[in-house]
Amino acid sequence: MNGLRCFRPRERNNQLLKQELETAFDGITVRIEKKNRIELSIARNGVLSVLSFLKNKGFNHLQLVSCVDWIDDGQLELVYVLSAYMKEDTFEKVEELNIILKTRIGRDNPEFITSINIFPVAEAYEREIHELYGVIFQGHPRLTHLLLDRDYSIPPFRKDFDTRLYVDDFFGSVPAVEGEGESL
Amino acid sequence: MGHKYSLNVVYFCTGCGIIEVPPSITARWDAERFGIIPVATPRQANLFLITGYVSVKTLRAIIRTYEQMPEPKYTVGFGSCPINGGMYFDSYNTIKHLDKYIPVDGMIAGCMPRPEAIFIGVTHLWTLIDKDMADGYKRYRRNYSAYRANQERVLGKLEWPPLFPAPGEE
Repeated sequence: MNGLRCFRPRERNNQLLKQELETAFDGITVRIEKKNRIELSIARNGVLSVLSFLKNKGFNHLQLVSCVDWIDDGQLELVYVLSAYMKEDTFEKVEELNIILKTRIGRDNPEFITSINIFPVAEAYEREIHELYGVIFQGHPRLTHLLLDRDYSIPPFRKDFDTRLYVDDFFGSVPAVEGEGESL
Repeated sequence: MGHKYSLNVVYFCTGCGIIEVPPSITARWDAERFGIIPVATPRQANLFLITGYVSVKTLRAIIRTYEQMPEPKYTVGFGSCPINGGMYFDSYNTIKHLDKYIPVDGMIAGCMPRPEAIFIGVTHLWTLIDKDMADGYKRYRRNYSAYRANQERVLGKLEWPPLFPAPGEE
């Protein structure tokens, strides 16, 4: 049982981390939401340096990359969620803090830089975002289909994609094969 | 029709309905009372349960599986989604009416149908087999070009050759 004993994670000084981030990066907004959650937002050209900075600070787990469509602002928002892995041998939790990094990019012909060089796990997430939101990640080795099987005129997770219209057009126009009375 | 008491069902998972199948075929509800046994490959099977929503990608696998099964073969849609889309009626990536793409002999409605509903459906299928009304595989032969056209309409060009020759080419 000794190996599975719960360790109290080291308390990180959130104010200190906030100061370090604000001195290191221009134009970064740091908001301490809770004891274990910090939200950062930065312009698009600072994202990769913030990611590698945080990775060196011990946040070595990219939990997910997500995307939000702000259609009224004409922007797409990329969301990176970071945390730290447990220690492999003792399962000691080294860090309880979750970091949410947000950045906004233009909605028309959206392009961004891939973060695979820092977090290889981002590959699948970026493929998914490319497929469902149409963001092109520069430097990504294979931006092919991941979940879907075909191309859509508008990427289907964007707000201006009318699913019911699409369903009526695409699936509704497929004719029934057999006439009435022949099938059950 | 002697084979009605020995239905070998493809162990093929589609959507959420497959979660009802393990309890149905094991000790609790024991589908073997009705002669139903899951088999590993479609080449040994004659019953195809479509257990839940069918995404476009899954439809491709369903068609390939269905075409590998030896005749006579029966298809039963299980749950609301193969009937008319169910709760995915406005999804951008889900097939709404399965019977436009492969022939279906019967549907078990519900979300989810309980294992008892499977057995009611199976006994109903027995009646259909007796009366030679479970003729989906015959309809597939007869209307193959129309089915294939519908399949290609959704999936694009299919990479395998037609299962049956077009009328006039036989």
